[in-house]
Amino acid sequence: MFKHQEMEINMGPQHPSTHGVMRLKLKLDGEVVTECRPIIGYLHRGVEKICENKTFAQGQIWSDRLDYCSAVANNLGWAEACEKLMGITVPRKAQYVRTLLAEFNRLASHLIWLATHALDIGAMTVFLYAFREREDILDINESYCGSRLTTTAFRIGGIPQELPEGFEQKVRTFLAKFPACIDEYENMLNENRIWKKRTIGVGKLSAEDAIALGVTGPVLRAAGVAYDIRKAFPYAAYSEMQFDVPTKPEADTYARYLVRMEEMRQSVRIIQQCIDGLPEGPIMAKIPKLLKTEVNEIYHPTEAPKGEIGYYLVGEKGGAGPYRFHVRAPGLLNLQSLPKMVEGSLIADVIAAIGTLDVVLGEIDR
Amino acid sequence: MSNEKPVQPEVDQEIDLALEKALGAPQAPPAPYVYDYKTSPNRQVVMPKTVPLSGLNAYLAEKAALEAAEEAKWQKAQADYAAAKAKAEAEGAPEPKAPVRVQPKKEPDLTVPVPSEAKDPDLLRLMALLGDGVEEAFEQSGELTCQVARERLLETLKLCREDAALKYEMLADETATHFPAAKDFAFSVVYHLTSISRSKRLRLRILIPEGFEPQSAVQVYAGANWLEREIFDMFGIRFQNHPDMTRILCPEDWEAHPLRKEYPVVGWGQRDVDFREDRSGMLNRIALEKAGQLGINLKRPKAE
Repeated sequence: MFKHQEMEINMGPQHPSTHGVMRLKLKLDGEVVTECRPIIGYLHRGVEKICENKTFAQGQIWSDRLDYCSAVANNLGWAEACEKLMGITVPRKAQYVRTLLAEFNRLASHLIWLATHALDIGAMTVFLYAFREREDILDINESYCGSRLTTTAFRIGGIPQELPEGFEQKVRTFLAKFPACIDEYENMLNENRIWKKRTIGVGKLSAEDAIALGVTGPVLRAAGVAYDIRKAFPYAAYSEMQFDVPTKPEADTYARYLVRMEEMRQSVRIIQQCIDGLPEGPIMAKIPKLLKTEVNEIYHPTEAPKGEIGYYLVGEKGGAGPYRFHVRAPGLLNLQSLPKMVEGSLIADVIAAIGTLDVVLGEIDR
Repeated sequence: MSNEKPVQPEVDQEIDLALEKALGAPQAPPAPYVYDYKTSPNRQVVMPKTVPLSGLNAYLAEKAALEAAEEAKWQKAQADYAAAKAKAEAEGAPEPKAPVRVQPKKEPDLTVPVPSEAKDPDLLRLMALLGDGVEEAFEQSGELTCQVARERLLETLKLCREDAALKYEMLADETATHFPAAKDFAFSVVYHLTSISRSKRLRLRILIPEGFEPQSAVQVYAGANWLEREIFDMFGIRFQNHPDMTRILCPEDWEAHPLRKEYPVVGWGQRDVDFREDRSGMLNRIALEKAGQLGINLKRPKAE
């Protein structure tokens, strides 16, 4: 009558917890996952092909649409990669503004992660609290560049305009308020029994596995590896900033949560330093209007909220756009570690593992 | 509630009739429908004519040639000037203007990065360990590049990971580039290695011809799995000893490999009818014809 049987089910492509369109083929033995195979590509738009047929300035707009939750971080990577390819020096003020906006973007991205991750696991309240603060950050974005999500915040060689009137006041008001908000989130979750039961020991990924699989960002730092590109290969104005790289040795979902919360505190520190020490001077490098490249090939990594986003560009002689463009998306390599995390655990933990990886399919599928 | 029939504009009926006349009876769609993108004028591909492969030797050769050309031009200008001067003196005319050597304009914030000789200890160590396996090693834009022989790739990767002085623990990225204009190779495959413990980065590069199957990096770095699947998907390069050589981003039955240079940007399935300019209704008719081939019914159903 009763027999032992493995069952194969599809999670997704449309599932509330997949944060986009992703399909997981799961093999189940009862409630235990024995095999997990992520199937991606539903959001593939061919960004690399499109950018190869556009100029460098036009490519900037496409970088917004990779990881739409952290558009500024992608803009920063693209602008710096193009500058590295052509050998452009950026004025110091522009570097500071870039750092400031990129850190705000990290806060926004981590807030959206916290909100949706908590919602997936069942903590509804945090969602509303986190989106409240995210709204303020989007308002700051809007006052700077006019758009909230797809910002196109920078230009090759600097930033498009001076900071608007009242910007500094807005930032200072936010900085005065935000640390108390992080405490508020932590009050709701840190000692929450349900939260701890759903996250502690779930989705473990050891440091060796993480490094071998190319996992970066908070997921790697929660495995005890203090690898942060802002420290290891400083870019923008990060070499002048004082901040710590939080790590945790436990390598589980709870540790990743704590690391991200601490990262938000460090971001606040960096923003404070940027706004206090904002230098005077030009905001745009003195470069020709039409940029042309020589034969060169570069790979520029930056620390996006999700991990290492790297732009690989090949320039040809006299080219107005890249001959070859490739994005090393942090989400792609992080998602690759999902089977390692969930195989042998319960199916409910798959939801927690997807949330903890902070996947955004826009950058994974490109 | 009224018993009136739904209002059917007569113009639509006329169009439908005209369409039936123009297109004839509805035909069965030939399946599978593949748009012949090569015949369409706005989808023609401009193939690259140069091979923008960075490298020290190529740069030095090009620089020497440029300098020689510049020097020859200068010599000629001077000779012309001398001749013109002698002629002017003989005729008693005013002296011609002396030629001026044109200095290249300097931009204050722009320094074009050029390749330089390998001085980094990592590159020197790789060159010492691999001997003639290293085809080229240079530094450019502050990045280290080492081009190795394609047969010795796996050995190099293992060395980079395990050698105590190198210790590149992570494969950050792997990707390829298509060079259709090159003679003795078709693709370059680049590996971006990161050493977390030493905060260093290194680029390994191999050049492969069409059809060559390089060894898979999964044997050394497990993270190369999806990256190599993506390369296969986008370029059609197969990797030996790869555990799962299938497409990753495109559908399984997708034709061709999109990131090759001969693949058009405006691709399959894209609507090539601009309805805003459809004054005479001709584009609409073409669209309906296409829809017929695709088996899509665009015609308005007639009211009974």
